[in-house]
Amino acid sequence: MKIKEDSSTKWFRLISYVVVILGSLLCLLPFLLIVSASLTSNAEIINEGYKLIPSHFTIDAYKIVFMFPEELLRAYGVTTFVTVVGTGLGLLMMTMAGYVLQRKDFKYRNFFSFVIYFTTLFGGGLVPYYMLITNYLQFSNTMNALIWPSLMTPFLIILMRSFINSAVPDEVIESAKIDGANDFLIYFRVVMPLAVPGLATVGLFLALHYWNDWFNSALFINDATKYQLQFYLYNIINTSNFMNNIGAGAGVVLSGPVPSESMKMAMAVVVTGPILLLYPFIQRYFVKGLTIGAVKG
Amino acid sequence: MLGKQKKAIITMLSAMLVMSTVAACTSNNGKTNNTATPKPTAATTTNNTAEGGETTTGIDTSKKVELQFYMLGNAPKDLPQVEKQVNEWLLEDLNATVKFNYTTWTDWDQKYKLLLSTGQDVDLIFTAEWTQYQQYAKNGAFLPLDDILPVAAPKLYEFVPQDMWDAVRIDGNIYTVPATYKEYVTGGFVWREDLRQKYDLPKPVDLASFEAYLDGVKKNESNIQPVALGGAIDATLEDSLMELHRQRVGALPYGLHAEYSDPTNMVGYWGSAEHLEDLKTYKRWADNGYFSKNELNETDSNQDKLINGSAAAIFSDNPTRYNSTLNQMKSLHPDWELAYHPFGITNGFATPVHPIHNGFAIPKNSKNAERALAFYELLVTDERYNLLTSYGFEGVNYEVDGNGHYQMIGDNSTNGFPREAMNSWAWRNPEYMIFEPSYDGVEAIFNALDEIQVPDIYTGFAEDYSSYQAERAALEQVEKQYLFPLMAGLVDDIEGGLNTFMEKANQAGLEKIQAAYKEQWLQYLKESGYN
Repeated sequence: MKIKEDSSTKWFRLISYVVVILGSLLCLLPFLLIVSASLTSNAEIINEGYKLIPSHFTIDAYKIVFMFPEELLRAYGVTTFVTVVGTGLGLLMMTMAGYVLQRKDFKYRNFFSFVIYFTTLFGGGLVPYYMLITNYLQFSNTMNALIWPSLMTPFLIILMRSFINSAVPDEVIESAKIDGANDFLIYFRVVMPLAVPGLATVGLFLALHYWNDWFNSALFINDATKYQLQFYLYNIINTSNFMNNIGAGAGVVLSGPVPSESMKMAMAVVVTGPILLLYPFIQRYFVKGLTIGAVKG
Repeated sequence: MLGKQKKAIITMLSAMLVMSTVAACTSNNGKTNNTATPKPTAATTTNNTAEGGETTTGIDTSKKVELQFYMLGNAPKDLPQVEKQVNEWLLEDLNATVKFNYTTWTDWDQKYKLLLSTGQDVDLIFTAEWTQYQQYAKNGAFLPLDDILPVAAPKLYEFVPQDMWDAVRIDGNIYTVPATYKEYVTGGFVWREDLRQKYDLPKPVDLASFEAYLDGVKKNESNIQPVALGGAIDATLEDSLMELHRQRVGALPYGLHAEYSDPTNMVGYWGSAEHLEDLKTYKRWADNGYFSKNELNETDSNQDKLINGSAAAIFSDNPTRYNSTLNQMKSLHPDWELAYHPFGITNGFATPVHPIHNGFAIPKNSKNAERALAFYELLVTDERYNLLTSYGFEGVNYEVDGNGHYQMIGDNSTNGFPREAMNSWAWRNPEYMIFEPSYDGVEAIFNALDEIQVPDIYTGFAEDYSSYQAERAALEQVEKQYLFPLMAGLVDDIEGGLNTFMEKANQAGLEKIQAAYKEQWLQYLKESGYN
């Protein structure tokens, strides 16, 4: 027999559905606006503003974007490379750091934890950071400037440390040691498999960070072939902003192509589209990672 | 065991929640606080000891060097080919190569500051009054060129007239090589001539006739906004009005005013009767619907609006940009017309750009100052270098037609090097310059302004705001918060609004700033002999 739901449950469910549906529509709306604007003619956007359903449907903007796709594709390549290498290296280094910091037999673990934590509270600021990367490390104009700065994010290290601390019991490490495993073996064969949910979380955050990064390109990269995707996009918008804001007195007339409104939107679609399609898959593994960790005792 | 696992998941989930909420605030931490393992790459300067190289100047070129050249803006697509060709010549001429670096327009001012203040390897960098050349020079960011100019670049030293060298002096020293191309970036009305004729409206020559034109457009064309101002209303409205109507000596900051004819008489404009009168004018324009209620949030450029027909006028634009707007409009709407009236004609005087307006300086950290200057001399005075870096490859990027006009091959989106794509404003050489046919219109305006030209006395002034830096920042906030809405006609009680603004501005330290600025200004006028 089916258990009858009382009316309060029904109401609760109804309200939740309405709230969630409205919420997701609200989230979807801006993106729909971008897509529709990219399919609108530029003159219409300027004269009548953005509309959900364009009255003149055109794919001109995409034609222009794909007339010279090499810049866009190269930026895609750079971002993909940086994301893959950075996430891989970063995960390795941060789990190692987290693992070591939580080992009870590491005498100075609190001191080192504090040093790492300290940098999240007090930073040197932009100028020393810039000097470190360009003058001392000589990273400017290389991929190093895009990858290295985010490899050891203090917050994620501490997250990893507390996660390993709670997910991997000391007894497991001890027994592995008794079985004759050395520290690296314990790390790779015992700790890593148990820390999969943590890896998934930290990995996702790190990958998103690398994917969305534009600031490092803005500061350290002068070579147009090494621009990250987000910077490539951001710079296009900034160029037209600059043109709007610079006074007539500066007398600056740029001869290069200034992208139209619809072109900007088309680029946004081209840039965000693929990662958006990829996201559900990553998310599935992410959730899977969480549940695998949960079931294993 | 299970309990521990559960706890771990809870820890993770809550950490994620916290993370996602604070992500916005901490997004910069990852960038500024990380330790990175040193991994030096090859140094950017190659110091090969290559012998030989033709010596064309009186400097030592026995060692091969790479010059780091920095310009603002975006690099053109064909830059690598141009750079390769330049390097081929340069290796022969000066035993050097050059790397053209472009800052892009993203945070260019911050990057500019970092490049100069952190001791980067920069040999040549663009300067202008809008990149704060005067302040940087005063603070010692650049190398004084007086002594090395005659040695490293004698031709260039000859080429630039002596009065221009004198005009760019800051505290007695030359810090930048000025451009010799003479142009005007003074304001002027831009309006739709076809609409004006259609409705028989007066030609805008002063404030009253401009208002009459706007009124006519408003009455006859309900879908067109009469004038486009945009979000930077302090520049598009106040500065334009001051230039046209009150003959201000330059775009003076902090609500100060001095007439061109009487520069020593510097008074506070904000809060004065004139200011109130002007604010009432803006308010009337806003109430009559000459510009949008939402003007402060506008992101489309004023020029774009004119080109696409959603606005019918720009209060003030310079001749060159007017011409480029006209060309773009003509390509979309051949039957529309634009017209231009420079404020100078109304006022009876016009100031050509100050030599500071476009220049190249050598930062004080440069290791190859002499070679850099010698290269810059080639860039300006050698026809091969100049044409290549201004217009690209002849036959590939452009061609010269029978009348000696510049003709682009292809269009903006297919050509990898449009005209002046390297932002070659500073190394323009009037002897080699080639123009598009449409430049004739600009030249006509320039010629008209040449007849009434007077020197620019404002731009040579180097403000030193170190003593009132805090007040300056506070005032900027107050201005945005209280004065902008007043100018945009969003405040009904103008007198009350102005009083509030003045009260807040004075709290922020307006009087102190104005007094200090005025003192420096008078000092400058006395030293430069303008009073």
